[in-house]
Amino acid sequence: MTSDAVPADPRSTREPFDPADVTWTPVSRRLVGARLTVTAIVLTPVLALLVLMAVFAGEAWLWVFPALVALLALWIVWLVPRQVNAMAYAERADDLLVRRGIMFRSLVVVPYGRMQYVDVNAGPLARRFGIASVQLHTASPATSASIDGLPPHEAARLRDRMASRGEARLAGL
Amino acid sequence: MTTAPGTPNAPGTPNAPDASGTPDARGMPDALGTPRAPDVEVESDEYVTGWRRMHPVTPALKGWKVLVAVLAIGWFQVGENLRQAIDLMQGKAFLALLGGILLIGLIGFGYSAVAWRVTRFAVTDEAVHLRTGILFRQQRQARLDRLQAVDVVQPLLARLVGLAELKLEVAGGSGSAVSLAFLRESEAEALRAELLALAAGLQRPGTVVPAAVATPEGTTGTPGTPTAPVAFEVAPERQVYELPMGRLVKSTLRSGTVPTLLLIVAAAIVVSIASRDISAAFVLVAPLFGAVTFVWSRINQGANFRAAISPDGIRLRHGLTESRAQTVPPGRVQAIRLRQGPLWRGPDWWRVEINVAGYGQSDQQQRDTVLHPVATREEAMTALWMVLPDLGVDDPAALVEAALTGKDTDGGFTTAPRRARWVDPVGWRRHGVRVTDRALVTRTGRIWRSVDVVPHERTQSLGLAQGPLQRRLGLASFVLHSTPGPVAPRVQHLDAGVAAALLDEQAERARTARASATPEQWMRAVGAPTPADPDPEPTTAPPEPAPDREAPAVPPRTGADA
Repeated sequence: MTSDAVPADPRSTREPFDPADVTWTPVSRRLVGARLTVTAIVLTPVLALLVLMAVFAGEAWLWVFPALVALLALWIVWLVPRQVNAMAYAERADDLLVRRGIMFRSLVVVPYGRMQYVDVNAGPLARRFGIASVQLHTASPATSASIDGLPPHEAARLRDRMASRGEARLAGL
Repeated sequence: MTTAPGTPNAPGTPNAPDASGTPDARGMPDALGTPRAPDVEVESDEYVTGWRRMHPVTPALKGWKVLVAVLAIGWFQVGENLRQAIDLMQGKAFLALLGGILLIGLIGFGYSAVAWRVTRFAVTDEAVHLRTGILFRQQRQARLDRLQAVDVVQPLLARLVGLAELKLEVAGGSGSAVSLAFLRESEAEALRAELLALAAGLQRPGTVVPAAVATPEGTTGTPGTPTAPVAFEVAPERQVYELPMGRLVKSTLRSGTVPTLLLIVAAAIVVSIASRDISAAFVLVAPLFGAVTFVWSRINQGANFRAAISPDGIRLRHGLTESRAQTVPPGRVQAIRLRQGPLWRGPDWWRVEINVAGYGQSDQQQRDTVLHPVATREEAMTALWMVLPDLGVDDPAALVEAALTGKDTDGGFTTAPRRARWVDPVGWRRHGVRVTDRALVTRTGRIWRSVDVVPHERTQSLGLAQGPLQRRLGLASFVLHSTPGPVAPRVQHLDAGVAAALLDEQAERARTARASATPEQWMRAVGAPTPADPDPEPTTAPPEPAPDREAPAVPPRTGADA
């Protein structure tokens, strides 16, 4: 760790966000559809409005705005599947691992014994896509361990599993 | 196990003998009073006997607030057109106003009186029950084995008439504290001793009332019932340090706010002289007001700051106008931070703050979470030792020294590699982490120095984070999540592989430490001596607070799980 050159330290070649003895469970690909739908719901009216403005005003430069919005939409369409690909969780014997992010990556380790309660959420859109999200809460508000895009039965299974494991390994604060 | 400091963490003893006592202490399904339904039990508490009332003067003390609030609102309304208001104030209008104020005052006092009538509390062996509410009845139950801290608070007015408020923190999220206001001062003290003893897992002393603190007030509620509170002996305490007023004032003046203010003043003077226009000086009003408020609150809260240790845990007393006596039982401190700004470096002063679940969610967390407002190096060590008597190394003094002022690999710290200078050219040599047998010590900040210490068994969860630049350089930041409060440990820019290994090892270490941690009812760990035979350790604790050498040998009482 005192070495300067990046590849000189053999430990840094190991992928820090991919511990060796862990099998990751990816989240459901249906999350891509759900997130893109949300984007569409937000961006479509904006785009329509901007296009109408450009059409009725008749000024050529006004098309810049709908073009920008369309570009943003394209970027999101490109980004969301990659984001969803990067999201995964893993159950180990004593803790749960949650991984997310491509550019800004994060990995959270939540011991079962530290879990205070588990939330399972599914909004109307998520239900239509057949997904739910599970959020784990410890006594620390900084623990941001939420798993989006789980099939409902998997979410329920995970919740029950967390609850039973949490009880078995329960510790005080 | 207090006699052998090493045992809780000794490898291969995850099921240490004391851990066998944990199932009954922890068998409940809610580890922290279930934050979502905080400590408020809807089921009836009819079986509870021994209901007591607050002191009858309470409505007078609380009713004031209504009057003051109404007057303040009225003042703000009128303030803008004061002259018109004064013109209106002739003759009958004035009388009407007086009558109105009187009426509002009466309503305020009346409401407080009714609220006082319906407010009752009772203490059982397991919990404190509180019934409040006129229209919306509330029955609140705070479980004593989840007790995080007990405060005796005396606002100025209550202090003058010898009353005090007793506050119990149970870490159930914001607003979960149980406040018993107001009680007679002696009654509050006796009740605090009782609650702490019960929370520690001690048995009631039965019918034998220790002569030392037999308070007649304590038993007025329902004499004769079996649960009628029998006074517990107040735990003996030994003062560890106190803060001289002079140092507090000096340190506040050197705290960064005041020099900034001086700069602003100088700039304003220069501008007004240069432009020959006095109006530039008016920009001073807001910062001046802010600075005065800041200085006053720092001095007000830090005045008469004293810390003591007792079998009940750490006792903190402070406050100029409003005096507070906090008691944090052993093992309730989740994390500790030592901070030093650039202007405190000369006199080598440190501000010591702690995370305690339950504190930190309230708006006054600034004053609740201070373990020492301005500590010298020795006092900072003592404060650290109070919380964590055993740092888990042979030479704690050297470790703390290296953590406070060291850089690079001083004191066995694992630091950010040299390539981290690209992302943090100033502070990269200070970023460091050291894992001992008992705690994780992190170090950061070159100009604003900061050291965090978290006992392994108090780790909530762990994390890694990596931004695009860090990824390029093969770096990652290690994050430790603690309960809400001023301490949020984070080690920036470690080598990615080192950070990942640290994450793995730390998860394992926290798990073993948890398994062998002392139970929530801390006296259970030492075989629960009866109150007649109080824990002898305060007297055996080192007479001289010398954390560097004696701390590992003589941890104060059950502090092994601090």
